[in-house]
This record gives sequence, C-alpha cells and structure tokens, in this order.
Amino acid sequence: MTAADLSALLPSMLPRLWTFALRISGDRHDAEDLVQRACVRALERAHQLQPETAPLSWMFSIVQSTWINELRARSVRSRSGMDWDDEFLETVADPAARTPEQHAMDGQIVQAVQRLPDAQRVVMLLVAVEGLSYQEAAQTLGVPIGTIMSRLSRARQTIGALFSEKQKSAASASSGKDQGA
Amino acid sequence: MDDILLMAYVDGNLQPRERKEVERTIGVSADVAERVALLRASALPYRRAFQRQQLPPVPESLARNVAQLIDAYAAASGTRTAGRKDPAAAWASRASGRIPWSSSGRARPWASACARGLEYARPVRARIRAAAPWAALAFVAGAFCCATVLRLTEGSASAVLAQTLSPQAMPAGLSPWVVAAVNYQRLYARETVASDLPIAGLPQIVEDIRRDDGLSIRVPDLRSLGFTLKRVQRLRFNNKALVQMVYLPEKGSPVSLCVITDDKPDATLAQQHVDTMQVVTWRQAKQSYALIGTSGDRDLEAIGKYIAGSGSGDLLSQLLSAHPLARSQS
Repeated sequence: MTAADLSALLPSMLPRLWTFALRISGDRHDAEDLVQRACVRALERAHQLQPETAPLSWMFSIVQSTWINELRARSVRSRSGMDWDDEFLETVADPAARTPEQHAMDGQIVQAVQRLPDAQRVVMLLVAVEGLSYQEAAQTLGVPIGTIMSRLSRARQTIGALFSEKQKSAASASSGKDQGA
Repeated sequence: MDDILLMAYVDGNLQPRERKEVERTIGVSADVAERVALLRASALPYRRAFQRQQLPPVPESLARNVAQLIDAYAAASGTRTAGRKDPAAAWASRASGRIPWSSSGRARPWASACARGLEYARPVRARIRAAAPWAALAFVAGAFCCATVLRLTEGSASAVLAQTLSPQAMPAGLSPWVVAAVNYQRLYARETVASDLPIAGLPQIVEDIRRDDGLSIRVPDLRSLGFTLKRVQRLRFNNKALVQMVYLPEKGSPVSLCVITDDKPDATLAQQHVDTMQVVTWRQAKQSYALIGTSGDRDLEAIGKYIAGSGSGDLLSQLLSAHPLARSQS
C-alpha cells in the first residue's frame, strides 16, 4: 500500500482510532497526540502494510505500540489505577436500550473491561468490542495467537467472577425481599 | 485442563469429541466446573455496551491535523494540483501549535526544517501540529464532525475543490455541492464502510433530518440490487443541510446518494464522469439528488432511474413494518 492509498482511508478510520486511543489511554489529550503520532508513523511506513492485513488492524497496532512506547518513556507500566478519567466509564442511555437494567448493565460491562490489566484490556477491546479475530488481534499486538486466547480467557474469567457475584447479590436481595413479604 | 480449551467449549467452538471430554471433566472437577461457570458468566454484550460508552467526539483539531498531514504527504508525492498555496510556506508562517508529548521531553526540534526539499518526515511531523486554516479539509468522514466538515465558505471552497480536481477536470454545469460530495466520496474505499455496524436509530435520524434540516428524505431500499445501507450522514455545504446515504454493493466501491434542498425546477437524470468518478444528478420536488460511485463499477444511471422513479421503495417504512418496535426503541 502507498501513503496515498492509506491517506484515502485514514479520515474514515479516525473515529475508531480515536475511541480506541481513548480507551487504552484513558485521557483525551494523550489520545489526541497518540492518534496524531500513529498517523504520522503509519504514513511513513505505509509501504509495509501487506495486502492481506486489514488497514484498521494495522492502525490499531501502531496506536497500541505508540502508547506502549510512550508509557515506557514516562517510566510507568500502566495507566490503570493511575489517573483514569472516570467520565469515560459512563454510558449514555441509548434510546434503543430496552430497560434501565440494560443501561446499568452496559455501564458495568464498560467498567469491568476498562479496569482489567492493560494486556488483557486491549485484547478484550480488540476482540470483543472491535470484532477482530484472534488471528487479527495476534497480528495487531505482535504476539502468538495462544497468548491472545490465554489473555482473553483470563480477562473473561475476571469479568465472569464480577458478574457472577452481581447475579448472586441480586438473587439473594430478591429472595430476601420475597421472604420479607 | 487449560483455559483456552474451556473458552472454546463455552463459545461452542469444539468438536463433539473434545466437547464430551470437557463435559466429562466438568463432572469430576469442581475447579474446571467453576472456571466454565465464570467463562459462561462472561458472555456479555460487550459491543453494545461500548457503543453506548460516553466518549467525546473526535476533536476538530485532530481531524484538522490529520487532514493537514494527509495533504502534506499528497504534496510530497506530487499529487497536489495547481492553484494551491505551498503548504510548507503556509505552515512556516503560521506554525503555532503546541508540541505534543512535552511531558516526556521527547518533542522534536522542527522549527528549522520546514523548507521544501529537506528530509520529509520532520516537516510533516511539525506540520501536523500547526494550525493552518486553509488546510481545514472538508473531507473527513464520520458523523462526529459532519456538522462542520462540509461547511465551506465561498472563499475556501475553490481552494479545497482545487485540491483534487484541476479546473480542466471539473465538468461544466456540475454544482459546487456535487463536486464537493464527489470529492468526499472519492475517499471512500470498500473497507471504509464494510465493517460498519448496522445503523442504530435510523428512524430517529430520518426524523431529525426531516424536522431540523427540512429535507424530505426517503431512504431507498436497494437490497434487491444487492446494496446494503451503511450510513446516513448529516453534512453541511455552505450552511445548507446535505444528507449522504452510503450503500455497499456486494462487490466494488461504495455508492452514495446525496440530497440537498434546491429551489430550481425539476430536472431529469443527467450522468457525468468526473475523472475516476461518475455521478448521476436529478432534481425533484425542490430537492437535488446526486448518486455517486466509481466509474465503471456499475450502471449508476439505471440505479438513479430506479430511485427517482420510486421503484426502490422506502427502506425505513419497510423496516418499521417488519419490526414495529424499531420506532418505539429509537
């Protein structure tokens, strides 16, 4: 692919690159700089993009590696638990949402994923949110496919534990109510 | 038993023999049963939840800087057409952007590297940080900035249009809004919309357009032609609402139907080619239409006739009659 080919694709990819950058960095200023830097790097290396690689996956990989490099430069391992902007953990009540419970659940899902360790969170974002295949996620992150599946499995067990607890609490609250009635 | 196997089991990705083996193990191992239960509990609507995550829209400054970066690369590769200001000179006189990553102290010194012909990467990096109004390219996709991206002033329109069309290539008689829409469409590749999720809240979008933009739009149902509706975008051109409906055919590049209000009398279909693009235009009931696609992909004129003749039906009313809940949910 040439820089001109990539140039034609970049504007339309921008919204997804922006949300991805926001979700991995948790900060709008970092996300903006991150996407800008990623676009520069991508255009400089457009010739390296192979026809069999999806341009969006390739851009995600550049955004992700740029962020990792930046964290290294700042001598921090992760942004999690540092100064995550909590406003990004909110979800909006979509008119298509059927119930308030569904809306609340959306928020809990976002929080659960965003609070995973970095390595697991990015895999969840790529596979469960962006819809990449395990193979594409492996290419994006430059790791073996087994690593993707292993991180995904650990992430899902963490989230599963969280939601099992919620279900148990809801069930016991409801049974308490029934008994009290 | 490893977690990857258990995840494949929960997701239904195992062969019958492996599945039976896992089920046998679940029966005898509380640990495996617990892990399977956790994985099952993690099967949640992640994509839906994240679609509703409250995130700020793409900052205008980011869209502008990326557009400027693209422009800089186009200039470097010699695709820039005559009539443009020299981006490097314009940048040099206006450079005033902040330096990203200053917290890490890794910002590059770039102020002296702006002259043309120097090592390219550095001026490009610098240029994207500069604020250059002439380079506020209009052709940035996505609903996030649709309210502003095509808001071209009379003065800037010619500069922007000249970017991709030389005067010789611009057909006589083609309205400026059609030229802008064609140039916008030019940036669409199949990949641009192929991965778009189904449009959420189409009835609401259409209602907003009818109410706020004063456009009486009908979303043509082109499924019988193998076209899937991918986007309905509200854009603006010279402060006038412009709606773009993007369809993805089974093969080839996307096709867009653009609509704008127009007081001129009705006009029959006319087809024109604008270098690699083709456009079919017509006017009906004080609205102008432009059907835009890549030349040679398909017979756009026939599709235009199909739409203009109302042969296509209204996708929205068909969806609503098939799924009455769609209206109440939107």
